Amino acid sequence: MSLLPFIFANPMMLAALVALPAIWWLLRMTPPKPVTEIFPPLRILAGVLKREETPSKSPWWLTLLRMLMAAAIIFAIADPVFNPRSNTLSADGPLALVIDNSWATAADWERRVETAEALIGDAEDRNLPVAIVFTADSEHNAVPGSATAARNRLAAASPQPLQPERTAAVNALKTALDGTAPGTLAFLTDGIETGDGKVMAELAALAPANLRLVEGRGDQAVAITNSANDADSMVVTASRLDTNSARTLPITAYDTRGRTVANGSVAFAAGEGVATATLAAPFELRNDFARIAIDGTATAGGTFLLDDGFRRRRVALLSGEARDQSQPLLSPLYYINRALAPYADLVQPNEADLAVAIPELLAQKPSMLIMADIGRLPDETYAPVTKWIENGGTLIRFAGPRLAAAPADDPLVPVTLRQGERALGGALSWSQPQPLADYPALSPFAGMPRPQDILVKRQVLAEPTADLSSRTWASLADGTPLVTTKAQGAGRIILFHVSAEATWSNLPISGDFVEMLRRSVQLSRSGGVASEGTTPGQTLAPYRLLNADGVLTSETGRARPLEISAGKAPVSSAENPPGLYGSEEGFSALNLLPRDTRLKPIDATGLPMAYTSEALIGAEAWSLKPSLFAVALILLLVDSAVVLFMGGAFARLRIPATTAVVIALAAAALVAAPGHSLADDGKPGDENILARLDKTHLAYVITGEAEVDRLSERGLAGLTEFLTYRTTLEPGPPVGLDIASDELSFYSLIYWPISANAPMPSPQAVSRIDAYMRAGGTVLFDTRDQFSSLGTNSGNTSPNSERLQAILGDLDIPPLEPVPTDNVLTKSFYLLSNFPGRYNGSPLWIEAQPDNGSQPTGRPARAGDGVSPIMITGNDFAGAWAIDGNGAPLLPTVPPDEQQREYAYRSGVNIMMYMLTGNYKADQVHIPALLERLGQ
Amino acid sequence: MAAIGHIVERTPSGEVLSRAQMRARLIPDCMVEAKRIANTVISGWHGRRKRGIGENFWQFRPYSDGESLSRIDWRRSARDDHTYVRDREWEAAHTIWLWADLSPSMMYKSKFGHVSKESRALVLMLALAEILARSGERIGCPGVMEPVSARNAAERLASALMHTPLSGGLPQTGMIRAVSDLVLIGDFLDPVDTIMARLAPLARRGMRGHIVEIADPAEEAFPYAGRTEFTDPETGEKLTAGRAEIVADDYRRAYFARRDSLGDMLRHLGWTFTPHRTDHLASEALVAVHMYLSGMPGRATHGGQL
Repeated sequence: MSLLPFIFANPMMLAALVALPAIWWLLRMTPPKPVTEIFPPLRILAGVLKREETPSKSPWWLTLLRMLMAAAIIFAIADPVFNPRSNTLSADGPLALVIDNSWATAADWERRVETAEALIGDAEDRNLPVAIVFTADSEHNAVPGSATAARNRLAAASPQPLQPERTAAVNALKTALDGTAPGTLAFLTDGIETGDGKVMAELAALAPANLRLVEGRGDQAVAITNSANDADSMVVTASRLDTNSARTLPITAYDTRGRTVANGSVAFAAGEGVATATLAAPFELRNDFARIAIDGTATAGGTFLLDDGFRRRRVALLSGEARDQSQPLLSPLYYINRALAPYADLVQPNEADLAVAIPELLAQKPSMLIMADIGRLPDETYAPVTKWIENGGTLIRFAGPRLAAAPADDPLVPVTLRQGERALGGALSWSQPQPLADYPALSPFAGMPRPQDILVKRQVLAEPTADLSSRTWASLADGTPLVTTKAQGAGRIILFHVSAEATWSNLPISGDFVEMLRRSVQLSRSGGVASEGTTPGQTLAPYRLLNADGVLTSETGRARPLEISAGKAPVSSAENPPGLYGSEEGFSALNLLPRDTRLKPIDATGLPMAYTSEALIGAEAWSLKPSLFAVALILLLVDSAVVLFMGGAFARLRIPATTAVVIALAAAALVAAPGHSLADDGKPGDENILARLDKTHLAYVITGEAEVDRLSERGLAGLTEFLTYRTTLEPGPPVGLDIASDELSFYSLIYWPISANAPMPSPQAVSRIDAYMRAGGTVLFDTRDQFSSLGTNSGNTSPNSERLQAILGDLDIPPLEPVPTDNVLTKSFYLLSNFPGRYNGSPLWIEAQPDNGSQPTGRPARAGDGVSPIMITGNDFAGAWAIDGNGAPLLPTVPPDEQQREYAYRSGVNIMMYMLTGNYKADQVHIPALLERLGQ
Repeated sequence: MAAIGHIVERTPSGEVLSRAQMRARLIPDCMVEAKRIANTVISGWHGRRKRGIGENFWQFRPYSDGESLSRIDWRRSARDDHTYVRDREWEAAHTIWLWADLSPSMMYKSKFGHVSKESRALVLMLALAEILARSGERIGCPGVMEPVSARNAAERLASALMHTPLSGGLPQTGMIRAVSDLVLIGDFLDPVDTIMARLAPLARRGMRGHIVEIADPAEEAFPYAGRTEFTDPETGEKLTAGRAEIVADDYRRAYFARRDSLGDMLRHLGWTFTPHRTDHLASEALVAVHMYLSGMPGRATHGGQL
């Protein structure tokens, strides 16, 4: 159609290229010459002018860049298309279309339909009849007809969640053509080989003039082919058709209601068609898996259905001993219970009488029955138990004194037992308690490491038989079997030769016991086993079916009930499409592909005739438009970067070359050197705590009101500075505390400015304060309202005081009194008579000291043990202490008297000294008397 | 179109001195309020109407415990039963450091201003020196002249400036030893943070500062229009505005915001800030600084502009 390898969809748009010289001229335009002005505050002007600056002349290469950009956009709008289709049908006979509408075509079905339509259109152009046949349909009708009829059939066809029946389709085509050689035979295939793999040969046998194999890209042809429940994860096997490159696909497990339960990914190596994924999830969660799907591939093959083979088992427990719950650690069922409770539903009989209990348990259809130390069952129960085992039940027995004493003809033990037990170790024995040997390879316990610390002191012994070793799942180091088993009917009997409690061995209190039991439970049949009747063949009605997009639907359509016969895995077919069969109570999953199928490409080697292989339509004819737009966009970005660079936007970011080299080297070293990683057992906030441990810090409560908190912080900073200058106490910077969460115990005094506007502390915070005060801390409450009640009724308390009352209401507060004149607070550093802050006049309230009448009144300081856990003032200490960064006071005192501020600081010093030294200072005043008493 | 602003020659200090003395004649003597004088106080010219060190008798007062016995005036004490101490009047002079920024950007004069910014700054500095010297304060200029206490301090400062021209930027303050007053005159067009980084340490050393910001009217009003290329006289940087009139409002907002923030920050330091335009009379700024120096709060005259 055209000499060029591409055509323009809108060739008219190319006329716009004429405009390029005009664009060139516009870009070259330069602004007029500016008036030059000297302007000292240029920096201020630069701040507001930045966006307007334009270079007076753009360099030629920048102009060229912009021209290219404009040209790219014009060409992009003109929409050049590569590889346009052309009609190459052979006119020698009818067009035969063999179309796969199997599961793998669901992803690109529209393109397949487009391709087929294009072929049909070509046939219509040449007046050829069209025979069309779909391989996955149940009925194949390949009679050649008109192009319109073929189009209708094509429109009606849809991908099926099935594997293609190519042989049947080719046979139908052969019958319909009735010996006529088709002109062009196009096989639109999903590319996956099925059956005997001779489909190409069969097609070639039709002797078409032109044989075409049309394939999609095949990257959607990925299927989950198997899944296995491992010890701690579910291993999913997936297979793919396109093995060229490495590919990782996400995998998700859903529960019955479609919720995501677990995620994993399957990673195909390049050249590998099969890979496995691990879905790690706890056992309980894995029980809930109902469907595993490859994300992003909506096909029936990418969906794997699970049935209740993965469900929790019901396990019945039986014990021979009286159920004495007062000593649970001596009861064997206790250990089994603890070991299995996470993995299985445990049922226990209500009756102690075994004759009643066993039928009762079997009526609940358990998967497994565990008998701990039962020597002899009532005679009438042997038959139902045996029947239950033969129907698929699993019986686990544990030895014990009763079993050891039981007669040897018990049918419910896997091996013949010697009567009595064998004791290892002890006063009358040469032998030592035995450890376990490695688990035999055939045992389900294989793969578990050999337990090192399990010692068996006592066991029951099996009579040696020829097949004993093959029936042994675990044995002692000296070779005597510890766990033996026997298959019986569809079921199995397992015997642990030790007791289930810790008297015979320490196995029941080890982790291996749990793992052994868990693996045994995994072996048992799920879904319950009845002791009555058998189910040789079962017919299950379709319950939920997969559609081609891998979605479970309740449309069952023409699906027929699934017949399950023992020993033969059902296969999906047109009659039994993949899905769930059964009912809500119990269903069996039928997956599209048989287990462990490998997807292989169609083998077309050795054909007697040549064929052409093509891709689907749309893949070949591709438009240059997106790439041209991308080029234009990249040019635009380059242009923007250049403009920014010329405008000096990066001038500030310019890094000296040496620095850049150093940074690059450091980055490289950081990447190259493997980090020395240590386990980090720190908790968040540890750094803060460590930073505050080495120094005394003054602390205040963050009330949540910014101004109050700022004043507290500045106030304590002022006091800190004062203390540093005047005393030997040199505190660190003040610390704001969130009393609801921060650790309080590092601070001897917490300053709490009460603000009625701040949020009320939570009860938990108040109780933390209570604990802090009990543990020896002191809280200094400051209502800051000494003068705020002026002008109101004198009886009223201020809002701050009311808030304080509300807070203290929840605290355990001792009786309070204003600081008495002989209290140590008045003497701990300076001699003070009152404690002013910004205001003066409010007393400082502290815990009332017990009135010690016997003390002489002339003492300079009253001795008292302990430090008051609470101080209350209204004088606004922090306001008086607060200083700014230059050391100047922030707030004036009331009245404005610098002397009062000095006394406020002294009050703070006295309070801090009192806090840190306690009654030591009170003792100081007695030093002369003490020295006198010592005779100095 | 002729340019609005241009760079002027450096003003000879002799001419400035005479202009400064003319200005200073209009202003009364300035006695610096010595509020925070601690160490720089030396015996000086005028009494402080307070007791302190000095020559003249101030008062007798009763002796209190702890005072040196040598201070007791035995003659007075002998007249009755009490013991008296003789107090003397505190006589002190204050050290005031004057400094003007003479960086290239100060050489600017637009057609709206009467004189260049540099000329105005020198006039203000010398006039202040004249007034302060009259009241016996000690006048110094950082980097140029050690503090002197002399009637002709203004002349001495002018001649010192002739020999040691002032450099641009902010002054070297190493020679300022202790608490004293500092008068800085300049255009302060550097970023506010840079200025404050230089000034905050001085404030922390206890100095009281008085900043006079000299501005040309063209800098404030931005009377430019059309395509204009602006040049910074200090860095030589060029900036082209396509249409200068459209950024005028933004520029004025930024300019005054910068001035306000500088003033606020200085007031936080406890310093004073006096903006001044070269098209106003130099006496306006002189009076304002004079008031600040004498401890009176500056009045908001001319809508805050002086």
